[in-house]
Amino acid sequence: MAVTFTSSPFGSRGRTGALIALRLLGESYPRELSRLLDMRLSATQKALHSLELDGLVVGRLMGRTRLYQLNPRYFAAGALAAYLGRLAEPEEPFKARISALRRRPRRAGKPL
Amino acid sequence: MLGAVALAVGAALHRVGVAAVLTGGACASFYTRGAYQSLDIDFVVVGPATQAAVDEALASLGFSRKGDRYVHPRVRYFVEFPRGPLAIGDDYQIRPVIRDGRAGRMLMLSASDACRDRLTAFYHWSDRQSLEIAVAIALNQRINLSAIRLWSNQEGFPHRFEEFTAELRRRRARRRRS
Repeated sequence: MAVTFTSSPFGSRGRTGALIALRLLGESYPRELSRLLDMRLSATQKALHSLELDGLVVGRLMGRTRLYQLNPRYFAAGALAAYLGRLAEPEEPFKARISALRRRPRRAGKPL
Repeated sequence: MLGAVALAVGAALHRVGVAAVLTGGACASFYTRGAYQSLDIDFVVVGPATQAAVDEALASLGFSRKGDRYVHPRVRYFVEFPRGPLAIGDDYQIRPVIRDGRAGRMLMLSASDACRDRLTAFYHWSDRQSLEIAVAIALNQRINLSAIRLWSNQEGFPHRFEEFTAELRRRRARRRRS
């Protein structure tokens, strides 16, 4: 089911959703974000690319995966994080999706 | 070579009235006397400018726009224009310096600001290469260490600043011995 947001102040659902997700997750990669946002991978990558050009997010390669985070060097990084935190507050269904992700470490070979 | 290309691009932008400041790795290369090399030449536009004016300036040197960057058939470096504002961490009141060369005049970060620019990557991502470059700038140029200390504290990285100065002291001692 497509994720809807109360507002899209960053230009599109994908851009706003990716920013909110990165604010909540700290770091993520396009495929994880596309699943969370219920968007096509290409649309998610396009949203991330445009956010990267705007300097709001940064990506770095970890092995073959490109990991994204909010740009800590952005001059208004603190204000942006606070704003995104506020925007996330009413997004209960989206926060529930994110809460369902297991991100803590798990020893290799340990049964799920 | 990198420095010459950056200066030529900066001067070409200056000639068409585009105020743009050299930042990033190319700027660091200037201050480390080429010890650090980068393939991209980043300019942040700090005044009103049209895409046509930027295209014209770059075209006068043989660069053409390809997506987000400008490339040249005979130069391996490419030119990019990261979105502004010109800022280093939370500090956006940056005062660029003027550099004059044979190609003309360009704006660039001061040595202290180029050092801070590299330190942000070390502070936020533990990027040791950026620490190396920041130290190399401090070894080769006169920088305002007390201002950098104050800024580092404001950014929330006093311990990382101490690591930087400890490394700088080590390098200075090694240089004196050799």
